[in-house]
Formats: sequence, C-alpha cells, structure tokens
Amino acid sequence: MAKTRTKPARQRPVLHGGRKRVLVVLFIPSVERDGATPIDQQHWVDAALEMFGRVFGGATAYPRAKGIWRDDENSAMLVKDEPVVVHCYTTPVDIQDAKKLAALGSFCRTMGRESRQGEIGLVVGDEYFAIRNFAEE
Amino acid sequence: MKTHLDMEKIARGLRAERRGKVSATGGYFGAMQLVADIDSRFRVPARGGRPTDPRWTERRLVPLAPRTLERLEALTAKVRQRNGVHVEPMQLAALLLERTTERLSEDEAKALVERRRRAGR
Repeated sequence: MAKTRTKPARQRPVLHGGRKRVLVVLFIPSVERDGATPIDQQHWVDAALEMFGRVFGGATAYPRAKGIWRDDENSAMLVKDEPVVVHCYTTPVDIQDAKKLAALGSFCRTMGRESRQGEIGLVVGDEYFAIRNFAEE
Repeated sequence: MKTHLDMEKIARGLRAERRGKVSATGGYFGAMQLVADIDSRFRVPARGGRPTDPRWTERRLVPLAPRTLERLEALTAKVRQRNGVHVEPMQLAALLLERTTERLSEDEAKALVERRRRAGR
C-alpha cells in the first residue's frame, strides 16, 4: 500500500518579516577600566535583561566567561575580566527602529559611564559596534 | 541567518563606531547563537518527554550518512558538555535544516527580484 503524507497543519509563509532573526550580543564587564576595581555586575546584568525585555521582548544572560581587552588609550594595558554575555533575539524592523536604538545606546552609555569603562561592546547581526563616548546628549 | 540590515543607521542610532564584521555563522558566535537558539526555543512538552520546539509538529525519516550522524553526535555532546544544554543529534539536524532552508529562501527571493528588475529595464 502506498504511504500517504499528511499535509502540515498550517503553512507558514517562507519569508515572515516579524520573526525574530537578528541576534544582539551585549558584553557586561566585571571590572572597571583599571582592570582591578570590581563593578556591581549583577546589577548591570539585571538592568540589561530588563531593558532588552522592555525594548526588544526578551534576552538571555549566560554564565560568566573569561575575557581580555586591550586599552589602547592607556599604554595598551591588558584588562582581564569575567564578562557576562547577554543574547537578545530581535527583528530587523525593531533593531533599525530609532527609538529602540536610542534606548539601547543610552543603556550602554549609562553602564559605560557609571561602571567606568573604556568601551562597551555590542554585536548586532554580523557586526561589532563599540561605544566609547558615554556622554548623554 | 543572513539579514539585510542598514548598519550605518544602526551605528548612528546607537551613537557607536562600526568596528567590523564578526563571523556570525561559524566559530564562537555561531556556536553561541546555536546554544541561544536551543535555549530560547526548546520547551518541555505538556505531557512530558524531552524538551523540543513546540512548532516542530511534522515527522519524516531522513536518510543520513554515518559520518554526518557522527558529526551531529559529536556537536551535541560538545554543546552539552560546555554549555549544559541538552539537545539530541536529530534536533540539531532539524535546527540546522531550518536555518539553511530559511536562508536559501531569502537568497532565492532576492535573486528573483533582481532578475525581474533586469527584465523590466
């Protein structure tokens, strides 16, 4: 007897604009720019998750990793830290929305300023973005 | 997955400097993306059993080369060991198949649009 294939219950369009398919990665540092003074990392992890949840609909924070950063403005000193990596899946529409970008940028500047960083790193899709000027306009 | 984003607009919106491309499909980011994908999508079914993506409702027999299955087993073992995320080899296969088919569809759609544009000139 020939096998019959059941049709999928519902066909989803192949190109669905609303599906979350852009990954945003934010690195939350564990120490200040001097590489020695610890920061309240848990506070910034919670704040980042809250911001990502509010602005983009959700995020995941991973356990601490090991990291290193070369501070070129400070005699190329190597800053060793244990960053927490936060992942947020969003849509192409949301990540290009001016208000949402402003909220994400503002969060990074606040974290950079208050935790005395040299740089806040973000990966959006397949590109790395660095925020170094922490002054709000 | 390949998505066309206006990176200049994103940099302006963030007030950030563009520092270059990262490998989004291979290496560290590819692996982390995979783990994040599994973590965010897999749920324990209401009637019990191993966690899975609730949208995976279709089942098919897929023939595989032993080498491919071995590779899938090795990859899932590594994900479990390093990230504590449990994924079965065929669940990983489904995830990779889904990504590839979505990417192919987008590229095909783009090629179609470009072909139409050329024909319209």
